[in-house]
Amino acid sequence: MGKKVTLIHLNPGDKAKVIGFSTDHERFKNHGVGPWHKRKHGMGMGLARRLQEMGLIPGSIIEVIRNMPTGPVEISVMGTRLAIGRNIASRIYVEKI
Amino acid sequence: MNKKLYTIALAGNANVGKSVIFNQLTGGNQIIGNWPGKTVEKAEGHIEQEGTKIHVIDLPGIYSLSTYSEEEIVSREFIAKEKPDAVINVVDASSLERNLFFTLQLVELESPLIVALNQYDIMENKGLSIDFEMLSSLLGVPVVPTIAVRNKGLKELFEKSKEVIKNTKKVKPILYGREVEEKINILTSTIEKEIDTFYPPRFIAIKLLENDTSIKTMVKNPDIIALAEKLKKELTKIHGESPETVIISERYTIASRIAEQVTKKKGKTKINIGDSIDKIALNKITGYILLLGLVLLIFYGVFKFGSYFSELLSASFELLKPIFIQLPLPPLVNRLLWNGLMIGIIAGVAIVLPYIAPFYLILALLEDSGYLARIAFLTDNIMHKLGLHGKAFIPLIEGFGCTVPAVLGTRIMERDRDRFIAAILATLVPCSARTVILLGLVAAFLGPVYAIIIYALTFILMYILGRLLNRYIKGSPTGLVMEMPLYKKPVPKIILRQTWVRLKDFVYFAFPIIIAANIVMEVLTELNWIVPIANFFKPVMTNWLGLPPLAGITFLFGILRKELTLIMLSTLYHTANFAEILTPRQIFIFGFVTMIYIPCVATIAVFKREFGWKRATVVAIGEFLGAIVLGGILNQVLRIFMP
Repeated sequence: MGKKVTLIHLNPGDKAKVIGFSTDHERFKNHGVGPWHKRKHGMGMGLARRLQEMGLIPGSIIEVIRNMPTGPVEISVMGTRLAIGRNIASRIYVEKI
Repeated sequence: MNKKLYTIALAGNANVGKSVIFNQLTGGNQIIGNWPGKTVEKAEGHIEQEGTKIHVIDLPGIYSLSTYSEEEIVSREFIAKEKPDAVINVVDASSLERNLFFTLQLVELESPLIVALNQYDIMENKGLSIDFEMLSSLLGVPVVPTIAVRNKGLKELFEKSKEVIKNTKKVKPILYGREVEEKINILTSTIEKEIDTFYPPRFIAIKLLENDTSIKTMVKNPDIIALAEKLKKELTKIHGESPETVIISERYTIASRIAEQVTKKKGKTKINIGDSIDKIALNKITGYILLLGLVLLIFYGVFKFGSYFSELLSASFELLKPIFIQLPLPPLVNRLLWNGLMIGIIAGVAIVLPYIAPFYLILALLEDSGYLARIAFLTDNIMHKLGLHGKAFIPLIEGFGCTVPAVLGTRIMERDRDRFIAAILATLVPCSARTVILLGLVAAFLGPVYAIIIYALTFILMYILGRLLNRYIKGSPTGLVMEMPLYKKPVPKIILRQTWVRLKDFVYFAFPIIIAANIVMEVLTELNWIVPIANFFKPVMTNWLGLPPLAGITFLFGILRKELTLIMLSTLYHTANFAEILTPRQIFIFGFVTMIYIPCVATIAVFKREFGWKRATVVAIGEFLGAIVLGGILNQVLRIFMP
């Protein structure tokens, strides 16, 4: 069993299995930038659903192509490339394989 | 075919060549507009053949038929309500799995489907081949391989569409796993008995299980909702996941299974050049250098091209003036004709078009080559500081050319909220007209440093406003979730057509407004109403902003086009040496206030078209008041340094 981490902790070339999304509001209270992050966040159900529709369903295998230090993460999933903003990526749990 | 008018809709993911197919099918015959009440672009065209007219609608590029974005809602409502005679699902052959996920939903919507297996060449480059006959039998719909950019397979696609139009056989549903299917069936049979809508009962059942809020609101019937809730609980109990996750995963399982069955590994995979390009283009250092260089090059090119043609065209139009002045008409009519109508037309043709046309061309190039998505990727963290995401960078950059296409350009963002914030910020980006003021007045008479200070103040203002809007506009900011398209070699014919269609849309929309506003202004001048109106603002102008009393008049004209403020200033004072008439402080304040005081009339109009009257008015008045307040404060502060 690999370690449970979020997408931003992976390096280019790493492969991982999607576990799920954080919808936990408190945990990310002060994450990211700017005061508006204090009000909402966790992942709205709409967004979680969107990610699933793009192929990030629990159990699917992804590969990290690129992880910008403060920017988005690019992954390969379902045969296509997907760019995911850092904030969202930090709420996607994966298990490194 | 016995009916005279048919409708074909094109549906599919983004970046699959859908618009290219649309372009190739309809040629130049197309109109771009908005879906009623939505800020979603609607492209329509038609084909006429042997007395039959076929209406073609290009639906927006989407990944699902849920309610994530307005595009998705528009698409599914169109297919369900308007019941097009055929739906062409454009599929990217090189990433079949993802694309079939959407195809399966079109099948659920029971649309009369044809699948266009596009970008067949790219798939072959990946060393794959698809058994499209098997795909056709698995899906139960016709499948046609196409390479749209080279116009291959489109004739056959069109012929097959006509067959589908004639054939009214219903598409067989594709079945989920046993447990899910059981729930769907229970729900479907109840829905069939109880309610009657334009959506197929099975589609409603699936969407209810998927927790689709808008379908839930539409159904209303409490018994059905209660039944759906009960079934959803059972699903969660069996699978240990939320029902929507269960359904989405099962749909993907079906898509994967089909994709696997029909795809064969043929040859070796050619090395993906795109990955090598991205090593440089998306590198955290070289990527930004490249982007910066490219943006500067684009600006330089557009402004060089623009100013050259702008001067050339203005000079040519000037030659017409004597002819108009000498027309054997009453002087009043003459003045209205020249100052109102002709100056309006000249403004559009000679001042706006030379900047917009190259900008649109470059935009189409960036878009079709795949680099536009890379720009969004690179700028995502910068835009995030404004509470927006990478896709907002593009309309903001467009704003340096002209605000109107920038506001239109916000359509690339999925959410109305993000779109609105991006559009407001876009109105503050110094457009080419405002750059003319900064260069011609502030830089020329105070020095370039002061022009740069005003630029900087504007950007700081955008930053603060971005954060404030994020704080107070309802909803939360969305992050970037974007497919990274493969790099493609742009096809000149398609680029040119795309540029032409957008340019045409801009001309049709903006020109009448610019011309009409010019005529209104000329009438006001003839009636001698300008001075009384300007007098009304005099106290604010002189006491608060510290500007000369006639500045109010120039601001009034600036609503037509920003650079008119400068032109009117020289007309009213009969000099172009502004140092004679304005103190350094006045020059600075004048420059700053014209940057932000109100969007020009064409921008207000496009804002109204995209976001409605209410929001357009709020933005216009808000920016006007903001400029007065900030300009005044700046004036009071500057008093200390520049007496």
